[in-house]
Parts: sequence; structure tokens; C-alpha cells
Amino acid sequence: MPTKNMTDERLSKFKNKGKDPAKLREKRITECVELRKAHKNESFLKRRNITLSSLPDEEALSPEYKDMVSSDGPPQTEDIVRDVTSGSREAQTRGCQAARKLLSQDRNPPMKEIIDAGLLSNFVSFLLLDDEPSLQFEAAWALTNIASGTSWHTQQVVKHGAVPAFIALLASPLLHISEQAVWAIGNIAGDGSAYRDILIECNVIPALLSRICPDTPVSQVGYLRNLTWTLSNLCRNKNPCPPLPAVMQMLPSLIQLLHLSDKDILSDACWAISYLSDGDNERIDVVVKTGIVPRLVELMSHKELSVMTPALRSIGNIVSGSDVQTQTAIDAGVLNILPQLMRHPKASVQKEAAWALSNIAAGPCKQIQQVITCGLLPPLVEQLRNGDFKTQREAVWAVTNFTSGGTVEQVVSLVQSGALEAIINLLQVKDAKVILVILDAINNMFMAAEKLGETEKLSLLVEELGGLDRIEMLQNHDNDLVYQAAHNLIEKYFGDEIEGVKGAATDAFVFHGTDVQGAFEF
Amino acid sequence: MELNDANLQTLTEFLRKTLDPDPTVRRPAEKFLESVEGNQNYPLLLLTLLEKSQDNVIRVCAAVTFKNYIKRNWRLVEDEPNKISDADRTAIKANIVNLMLSSPEQIQKQLSDAISIIGREDFPQKWPDLLTEMVTRFRSGDFHIINGVLRTAHSLFKRYRHEFKSNELWSEIKLVLDTFALPLTELFKATIELCQTHATDVNALKVLFSSLTLISKLFYSLNFQDLPEFFEDNMETWMTNFHGLLTLDNKLLQTDDEEEAGLLELLKSQICDNAALYAQKYDEEFQPYLPRFVTAIWNLLVSTGQEVKYDLLVSNAIQFLASVCERPHYKHLFEDQNTLTSICEKVIVPNMEFRSADEEAFEDNSEEYIRRDLEGSDIDTRRRAACDLVRGLCKFFEGPVTAIFSGYVNSMLAEYAKNPGENWKHKDAAIYLVTSLASKAQTQKHGITQANELVNLNEFFVNHILPDLKSPNVNEFPVLKADAIKYVMIFRSQLPKEQLLQAVPLLITHLQAESTVEHTYAAHALERLFTMRGPNNTTLITPAEMAPFTEQLLNNLFKALAVPGSVENEYIMKAIMRSFSLLQEAIVPYIPTLIGQLTHKLLLVSKNPSKPHFNHYLFESLCLSVRITCKANPTTVGSFEEALFPVFTEILQNDVQEFLPYVFQVMSLLLEIHSNSIPPSYMALFPHLLQPVLWERTGNIPPLVRLLQAYLEKGGATIASSAADKIPGLLGVFQKLNASKANDHQGFYLLNSIIEHMPPESITQYRKQIFILLFQRLQSSKTTKFIKSFLVFVNLYCVKYGAIALQEIFDSIQPKMFGMVLEKIIIPEVQKVSGAVEKKICAVGITKILTECPAMMDTEYTKIWTPLLQALIGLFELPEDDSIPDDEHFIDIEDTPGYQTAFSQLAFAGKKEHDPIGDAVGNPKILLAQSLHKLSTAFPGRVPSMLSTSLNAEALQFLQGYLQAASVQLV
Repeated sequence: MPTKNMTDERLSKFKNKGKDPAKLREKRITECVELRKAHKNESFLKRRNITLSSLPDEEALSPEYKDMVSSDGPPQTEDIVRDVTSGSREAQTRGCQAARKLLSQDRNPPMKEIIDAGLLSNFVSFLLLDDEPSLQFEAAWALTNIASGTSWHTQQVVKHGAVPAFIALLASPLLHISEQAVWAIGNIAGDGSAYRDILIECNVIPALLSRICPDTPVSQVGYLRNLTWTLSNLCRNKNPCPPLPAVMQMLPSLIQLLHLSDKDILSDACWAISYLSDGDNERIDVVVKTGIVPRLVELMSHKELSVMTPALRSIGNIVSGSDVQTQTAIDAGVLNILPQLMRHPKASVQKEAAWALSNIAAGPCKQIQQVITCGLLPPLVEQLRNGDFKTQREAVWAVTNFTSGGTVEQVVSLVQSGALEAIINLLQVKDAKVILVILDAINNMFMAAEKLGETEKLSLLVEELGGLDRIEMLQNHDNDLVYQAAHNLIEKYFGDEIEGVKGAATDAFVFHGTDVQGAFEF
Repeated sequence: MELNDANLQTLTEFLRKTLDPDPTVRRPAEKFLESVEGNQNYPLLLLTLLEKSQDNVIRVCAAVTFKNYIKRNWRLVEDEPNKISDADRTAIKANIVNLMLSSPEQIQKQLSDAISIIGREDFPQKWPDLLTEMVTRFRSGDFHIINGVLRTAHSLFKRYRHEFKSNELWSEIKLVLDTFALPLTELFKATIELCQTHATDVNALKVLFSSLTLISKLFYSLNFQDLPEFFEDNMETWMTNFHGLLTLDNKLLQTDDEEEAGLLELLKSQICDNAALYAQKYDEEFQPYLPRFVTAIWNLLVSTGQEVKYDLLVSNAIQFLASVCERPHYKHLFEDQNTLTSICEKVIVPNMEFRSADEEAFEDNSEEYIRRDLEGSDIDTRRRAACDLVRGLCKFFEGPVTAIFSGYVNSMLAEYAKNPGENWKHKDAAIYLVTSLASKAQTQKHGITQANELVNLNEFFVNHILPDLKSPNVNEFPVLKADAIKYVMIFRSQLPKEQLLQAVPLLITHLQAESTVEHTYAAHALERLFTMRGPNNTTLITPAEMAPFTEQLLNNLFKALAVPGSVENEYIMKAIMRSFSLLQEAIVPYIPTLIGQLTHKLLLVSKNPSKPHFNHYLFESLCLSVRITCKANPTTVGSFEEALFPVFTEILQNDVQEFLPYVFQVMSLLLEIHSNSIPPSYMALFPHLLQPVLWERTGNIPPLVRLLQAYLEKGGATIASSAADKIPGLLGVFQKLNASKANDHQGFYLLNSIIEHMPPESITQYRKQIFILLFQRLQSSKTTKFIKSFLVFVNLYCVKYGAIALQEIFDSIQPKMFGMVLEKIIIPEVQKVSGAVEKKICAVGITKILTECPAMMDTEYTKIWTPLLQALIGLFELPEDDSIPDDEHFIDIEDTPGYQTAFSQLAFAGKKEHDPIGDAVGNPKILLAQSLHKLSTAFPGRVPSMLSTSLNAEALQFLQGYLQAASVQLV
């Protein structure tokens, strides 16, 4: 039947399916080729023009500085080059400021022009001038904006030696300069695992963590927000994942941050956890061992979508781990929260919740029983019926996992809750994989029925629900595995086949005894 | 092979010969081409010919030959030599796109196919510039070329619609999107503009519309796996234009053909599919466009005619609406009363009307009509789509929809009442509407099992169905009669019994209708009613209730079989079978007449068996006649043999392969009725049954084995005395079956019957050889199935010939063989034996080995005595071990062997279970206790000491239970 034919990565990654116990549940395969637009609700990789919280005089330094549209018109690159390369600190400051203003434009900031003008080495050298805070600050800001561009832009910043300079700048006594460095480092870290690891090797983590005070005054919440975001970028990206020692270094602070109440801090801290838990069971274990799971589950019902989404994602990752890891999430009450998330108005939340459920349903029957007890079947069936396609897809996996690991009684209660009817309706979806997964679920249900001696009853039920027609049609499907699975179901549970005939023969049978060659040994 | 004129000339000649109608010319030419196709340059010669030959026939022939060559040889198979040289591969890929695009259509199609075959293997890695090369042609402005590109792209990309998501596939799609999506979009826009500038030029329009259709198909393939970023960003362009095309009409593109869909229909059909894809999978992004599409598609439906050419478009369009209206967040698009009324009135009702095409099928192609109407092969029909829409709408609007339709039904019935002769189709539509509205769930076995509670089915039956059934002229308005009969049939589970009883005689009358559909439906309805279950698991309609109609029922059924068009009507034959089975002894008086008619029918169909179901039910009916009659009076078996044997002989002589398994089953049934003797007529046939040709056909094996078992049971002694020369043949059959993993259990059935029924001396000389064969099979390829059968056989042998004989024959083949079989096979595997009779045989056999075999007590065999006893107690007490070793999982195991032949293709030729031990042993546990007691008295002290040293405690406890129950003690 379908199961053994499925070579799809996903299936082997559910627990209790493949033979490798490490690969049992589905991991989020981030390296996957995507055709879609990038996720809209995830945090940004790089940021430009966020307002610094710690500016001494906000108006004077805001990106939309009023003289941007002053009578002189926008500054020209050649003027900037002249100023920056001049020997005068004043001119250099003016030039840097003009450059960062240009780079702060909403549309088409002239990053390449500035880089091509060879100004980056000057900017980086200004970072070291602790006695010229304004120049230091303007240069840092200009570089930050360039680092927020494409990978190539970021690369230029790093190439000019900005990494150690920014790390040093973190220690600046002036909060707004330190914050600017935090931000720049966040952009560099967000570029990918290579720069992230360079930063880590340059000991960015202790430098950052030392800036977290246990009781941050309200005035510094903004600083802490940016710092959290930068930390989250240091947790981000795979291939490879961030080095384990670095993760261990960051985790205690992240846990601390997760207990604050500011929603932006919570959001980015949750995203950080979601990146750290997106990996093999060993990675998940590191997160689970911190004891943060109950807090994450609590945050799954946070009223802010920006907090709830990454909290749900983190828990989703954790329940894709081992049975024991999953159990910590169950013990923390994840199953009490999932029903409301399955019914959340946003389709992306429903989908994510259904994904988590599908992984819990891949567990042993004790966990499946908790799924039933906590009332997950009604929302599951609702999603199968009315969810959007992506949610339906996850819900179908939940059903198939449930039916392959559940006891006969559990499968019966699933069928009775309306799941069979719902998945039969879904046999018309335009997705070969989903269809195959449904056929597998139906086959599992028949195996349960066999144990009860009720296959005939189930056959009739499937037919009544219009399933027989649909399965018969699937025998014309272009995908061989789908065709095979449909054909097998029909043959086994709906068929009345007449045997074929073949062959040719000789004249007469003669019974010829043979000699014993060698001794018998069984 | 050089690329020169001489070779081109030779190739031309051979290609021409491959078109010759004379196979003696054609075949050698084909052979020659195959023999040279491995040479380098062969494909290039073909390409040259298809491009440059003066003879058009040769050009096309070269193109076809080229495509087939590519199909056979392009794929690189691991561990097999590369069949096309790399130079040729490169040259082909460098030229084929150009060549395809510059060729006339006939050749273009072949080359386009060839490109997709190559593309399937080489694209994108080994053919990176294929797409760019194709895309540049979009700018050529020549739509012959553009369509060539589009067609090729379609055949390359259509697999995206059914393949599973994988990184490899998605990388390819991404690459295709990067190069193809933008140019395709530009082409789409440009083509639509061209349609406007050429709005009056029919030839130009035709080409442009086929481009648009291909573009729409490509859109479907490229958007199938997931919504690509590009298409999300350009949704506005695509959807606005799709919408525009849906609403577009151009008189110039309308076709006169009523059957074949025209370009407009094909395009709009594809657009409906595209919209349905987006609505189903990308709902969130598509939401802003969806209402417009609903309106456009609905207007399209309202304005589309009844002609067959629109069928696909209409059913696609309706299916789109059906899928959307079930979604909760689109409920509002439909809930307005006027909208609902309009959909019902203008979309659903018109598509439920009985069309002239339906009428033609009803009269002239009844088989097709029945298949569509009764068996649900109407998946793509308008009626089916309309029904699905009704069902979809009922999800949220059951009340209002039912009310609207009730109004409709009433007005249509009123129309009909005014002038039935003129307006009968109105009533047909009314009945169809009621049916689709009322039925919520349906199965073949029970008809409609869940009905819309808002529809009063019984009232409708009384007021509108019954009058048609009662109408004295069964041949008037046959369509309405068929509708009425079908109504009874499908709502049978919903109608009260008294209504059904009222319908039965009316249905019997309708068996006399001239219309094939009508009398077929009557037969089918009766057959279904007869299978309904009443209380206490009996039939709902009892034989007593049928008594007044029995004669007429049988008469009419057989008369209907004589109507031209129904001589092999499977529904009628099935109704005959079901009637026999229901009426039981009530049919006995009619059998002498009926058996003649049935055998006559059999003789006729055996000339050319073409309707497998009809034939099956015919044989089932014969079996029922035999069983029912002989149950009352076994001596009548002779008269059946008299009637049937001439036909059977003819079937056997003419080797009517389809019928042989049936004939063997009926013969088994007949022979089994005889009491312990075998009539000479059977013995005459015996040698023929051993012909190898019969055993080559897998379908013959189970019924033939059963028949031979019947021969052995009734005539073992006769065979030994008068046909001893056939014994080697009989054992030869065993030997053949024993060699097959699929059929070895059948061989054991035969062997068991031989052991059980043949006089022992008649097979003495073969016994040792039989065991050697079994041991060889055990050694070379044992399977769980084989071992289970082997265990049963060994123990049966022991029961029949005694434990000493068993031990002696084993040890005569090889010293200590007996111990080895016990230790390696019987003890570890006996737990796997399944079936009550099989387990009993093993229990009795093992008991005998334990207690009646002196060798077990005083040679080295003693050490396995206790383990054997323990295995026996395990057989009694432990659950069956149904584990199968890993590597065996993949062997095709036909069915689990039982002692009985499991083959029962004919349900009514079934055989009673046979227990070779029977009452001789009532309770094998007691037998074990008594036998152990006996053994212990013969060897005082030995048995208790063997038990206490090595039998495990649990087994010992069970054993003490048996001893107690048998009131014996061990000494």
C-alpha cells in the first residue's frame, strides 16, 4: 500500500514511520526550493531606517532631517567625497551626515555610488574615533544603511573591516552609538550563516550580552528591542546552524528576555527560539532543557500576532522532535491552546497549528489519546472541510499520521468525528501528494476496520460518502503511485475481479521421482 | 554511417518499404532499420531526410521513425551501453528546435514529441539553452512557430500537474519560471491585442485562439505545484484577461459542428480549470478576483446552448460553481434569493433536461445509456455536474433550494399533466430533480441511504410514480416508465415495505416492455429488492409473499431474455439468479422447463462468450437449480447430468477457456451430491482432467483441484482398481503444483485427498518419492504458506498410516531425518497453522507421534519428546503466530491456505467443510490426556519424569487441566 512507496522526505521524517528514529517527525525544511513569495509575517532579515530609541536629540538626527529638502537640494556624491576625504573633522562629519541622509532615502538609496566612490574605508576608520562621537555616529549610521542592502552591499561593509570596529563600538558609553552598532551587527548577521559565524568568532556574543542589564529602565526598552532583534539574527539561518557553544551562550539571556512583557522584545526572542529549535532533535533538546517550553506555550495565546506566531512556530518545531520532547509541550498544555489557534481568523496561523497537530498525531497512541481528550478532532475536521488549502494539507497529514499510529478505537473515533467524509471530499484537490496521503489514511482506516471485522461496513460508508466514485476516478490519475494506491484500495475492499488466463503446455503429466542429491538440512 | 547521398538514398528506400502493406516487404525493412540504428549519424540522416526529402511521404515517415527512435534509445539506463553517440546527441539538440519550428504541422508534432522525450531526460541540466532558444521565438511574430513552441512547452511542463513536490522538480520549475514566465505573459498580452486587431479575420483568429488555449494550459501547469511569485505579482494581468476571454464571444469562432468542441469552448474550459485551481489552492490571493469569475462563469452557463460540443465546458463551469459555493466565506455570493433562484432556474434545471442525444441513446444504445444512468459512469455529464451543484448548494441553502425546486417540480408536473404526449420530458426532468435533491448518500448495495428530509419521497411515489407503474400500456412513454422503476430501485431503502410490495407485481409486468432500458431496469429493480434485508437477517420480501407471482416472475424474466437486444442481458440473468435464491423450493416445479432454457442459453453463449457477467450469473443460476432441487431429492442429480453433460462435453471439446473453471465447479457440485460411488460418465472424463494444458491456466487450478478431490472422495477405490495407470498422472499434477509458490497449497489439497481416500497399497510405491519432493522444496524454497500446508499433510499422514510408518519412511530417506523434521520444522512452526480442522489434524498427529511411536521413547529422539509436547500444548493454548519473515513479504501469496480449497468463484457452487478426522476425535485435548495415560502405563515412571525435568510450568498446568478433564492420571 501507499506507505511503503512513499519516498518523500516528509514521510520519513514523521516519527514511527521511517526506520531512522532520528528522522521521525517532519522538520521544517528551510533549504527547500520555494516558488512562493517569502513569508510576509516573519521578521525582517535586515532593517534600514528604524528609529533609534536612544537618540539624544531625535529631531536633529532623524532620517527625514528637515534640511533634506532644503533649498540646496539633495547633496551630491562628489561633495560628499570631497568632505569625507578632507582632513577636517567638521567636513568629514558633514560629509558622513550627507551620505547617511542619502542612504536613508526611502527609494533607491545610492548605496552602490557611495561604495564605488571608495568611501567605506573612510567610514570604517571613523568608527574608531571615540573622541569624535558625532562623526563616529554618522559613519556608523551610513554603514548600517549600506549593510541593510543586498548581500553584495553587506559584503562590501564587511570587507572593509567593519565587523571588529562595530563590535568595539558596542561598548561605547553613548547609548545611541552602541545602539547603532547593535543595529549594524544585526544587519550583518542577518545576511547569512557565513557572516553570522564571523561575528560569533569575533566574540560578538559576550559584547552584546554585557549590554543587557537585568532591570532595564523604561527609557532603554528601545535599545533592548534592537538588541533582541540582533540576537535573533545571530540565531538565524541554517547550513550550518549557529555553533552550539554560541547557542548555549545566548540561551540564558534569551530566556530572560522571554520573561519581559514588551511585545517587540517577546516577538524577536520568540523568533530566536524558533530558529534554534528548527533543527535536529539535539538542537531541540538544547531549547527544551532550558525549561522554556511552558512559557512558549503561554505565549502561544498572546494577544499580539507578532508574538503568538513565533511562539507557535517554536512549539511546532519542538513537537517535530522526539516523543519525549513532544511530551514536554503536551505537559505544558499545548493541546489546550491548539484548538483556538486552529480556529484563528488568520489562515497562516491555522496552517501552523495544523502542522503542529500533524506532528503530535505522529506520536504514540498515548499522545494521540491526549489529542482526542483535548478536543482537537472537531477543529481538525473543520479545517479539513473549510480550511484553506495549505491548512487542509497539514490537516490531511494529521489524519494519516493519526490513523497509522492510533489504536483501533482511536481511529474509530476519528472516523466518527467526520474526518473520513472530509478527506473523501478532498480527494478532488489538485495535488497528487495530498491525494496519495488521503488514500493512505483511507487504507489505514480499512486496516482498523479489518481488526473489527467491519470492512464491509466501511466500504459502504466510503461509497455513501461518494468516495468510491472518487477512488475509481483516481485509477485514471497520471501519477503512478496515486493510480496504484487507488487501484489497490478498489481491489482489496471494493473489488470483484475475475482471474486472468495464460500459458501453454506439454502432452501429459508424469510423476517422476527424483534422486536425492546430497543430504537434507533444514 | 556517413552523412552522404548514398546513405540517404538507401535509407529512403527502406523507409518507403516500411510503409508497404505486404508484411514480407515491410518486416525485413523494419528489421533492417533496427539493425542499423545503433550506428553513428543514423538519427542525423533521418533529420536530414525529414527536412530535405522531395517526397512528403518520406519526410513524415522519417519524422515518425525519428520520434520512435528517440523514444526507444534516448534514455540512459544504468549499466547499459549508451545507445546514441554523444556527438549525435549534441547535434540533435542543436538542430531539433529550429527544425521543429520550420517544419509543416504533421512533422512539427512528431518533432515536438521528440523534444519533450529528450527534454524529460536532459532538461534542464544537459540542455540548458532549450528554453532560451524557444523563448526567443516568441518574438518572431509567426504564430505557426509560436504555437510550435507553446505545444512543445506544454508537453514539457504538463508533468508538473501530477508529480510530487521535490527539490529537484521545484528547482526545474523555478528555472522555467525565470526564463519563461515573463515572455509568456508578454505573449499573452500581445496575443490578446492581436485578437482585437484581427477581430474580423477568421483565419488569424483561429491561430490566435489556439495560441491562447495553449498559453492557458501552460498557465495551469506552471501554477499547479504552488503559486509562483511571478504569477502572484502578475495576477492582475492574467486574471483580468482570463475574465475578459470568458465573457468574450465572436460569431466567427462559433462552429456549426454539434458534437466537437470549438476553439472558444476549449479556451473557456481551460480558463474555468485555471480559475478552479486558484480558487482551490490560492484562495487567499485569488479572493479579490473570485466574485467576478463566479458571475462570468454563471453568465456563461446561462448563455450556453444544449449542444453536445458544450458539454465539457458546461460541466467544468458547473463544477467550478459547485466547489465555490460550498466554501463558507463565499456563501454570501449565493445567498441572495434571486441569485439562488436564478442558478436553479437557469443553470441547474436546463442541464437536467432530457436532451435529444439522451433520447437517441435510450432507444439505440441502451447499454451505454444504462451504464451512464445506472452505474454512474456519468462523471463528466452535465446532469452529474448539475447534481453536484445541487448538493453543494444544499450544504448551506437546503431549505431555500428545496423550496425553489419544489415550485419547479410542481410547475413541470403541471405542464406534463396538461399534455403528457407532448410534455413528457418535463416529468422526466421533475423526477430527476427530485432524485438529485433528495439523495444525500447512495450505495449500489442499498440505493439511497440518506435522504433530504424536506422532500416527501413517499408522497411523490404515490402521486407521481405509482400511476406510471400502474399504467396498463407498458410500452407508452418508456423513458418515464424507466424513471419510475429507477425511482423505486434507488429509494428502496426509504420507501415503506407495503409500497415495495405493491410495486413488485408492477415491476414484473414491466419485464414485458419492449424497451430494453425499461425491462432491464425492471429486472434490476426486482433483483435489488430481493437482496434487501428484513428483520432477523432474513430477506425483506419473503418467498411466501412472492408465492402469488412466482410463475409470472419466472416467465417474464425468461421471456425478456428472448427479446432482441437482451439475449445476453446481465441484469436479467442476475435477477434470475436472485429469484431462484429467494424462492428456493418454490422453483422446483418449474426447474424441468427452466433447466432446458438455461442449458440452451449456455450452448448459445459458449459459441462466443462475450458478456462475463451474464455468463457468471448463468452458471450461478445453474448451480442454484441443482442445489435446490437435489436438496429436496438427491436422486434428481442424474437428470441434471443428463441435461448438462452434452453441453459441458462440447465446452470441454472446444476448449472454451472462459467457461472451464465454471464447468469444473458445477461438475464438482454434481459429483459431491452422489453417495460414495462414481458414475462411469465421470470416469470417462477422468483422463482428460489430467491434461497438462488445462493446468497451465491459473484460473483452472482451484476448480480442477476441487473436482479431482471430489473424484478421489467418491471414487478413490475405483481409480485404484480401474484407472491405476492414471495414478502417476495424478501425482504429476501434484508435482507441478508443488513446484509453484503460488499453487503449492493446491498441490497439498490434492495430496491430502489421495492419502485420505486412496487405498494405501495403491500408492505405496510412490510414498517415498512424494516425501523426497516435499523435502527438496522445503530445502530449496520454503515459505510460511508451504510449511503450514506441509505440517497439515505430515500429520494427516500420521493419523492415517500411524506414527511408526511416518518415522520409518522419514528415516529411510536419510538417517535421523524424523528427528530433524520434528526439531527444525514441526516444533518451531506448528504455532503458525491456522484453521480449526487444520489444527485438529496437527493435534491428533502430534499426539500419535508422542504416544504411539516407540522410537520417541528409547532412541536419541527422547530429547525432543518434551519440546514436542510443549509445542502441542502451545498449539492448543497460544494465539496463532501469524508472523511472516521479512523477505517473504514480497512474494505473491494468493490466499492463505486452508484445508479446504478456498476457491469459490461461484457463490452457489460452495462446498461444505470437510473434516477428515470427524467425530473419531471429539476433543483433541482429551485424546492427548488419554494417550499420555496409556503411554505412561506402558512405561511406568518415564512420562512424569520427562515432564518434570523440562516442561515449563505453564504448559504443565494446562496439561494437568487436560488430565483432570479426561479423569486420568499419569503413572
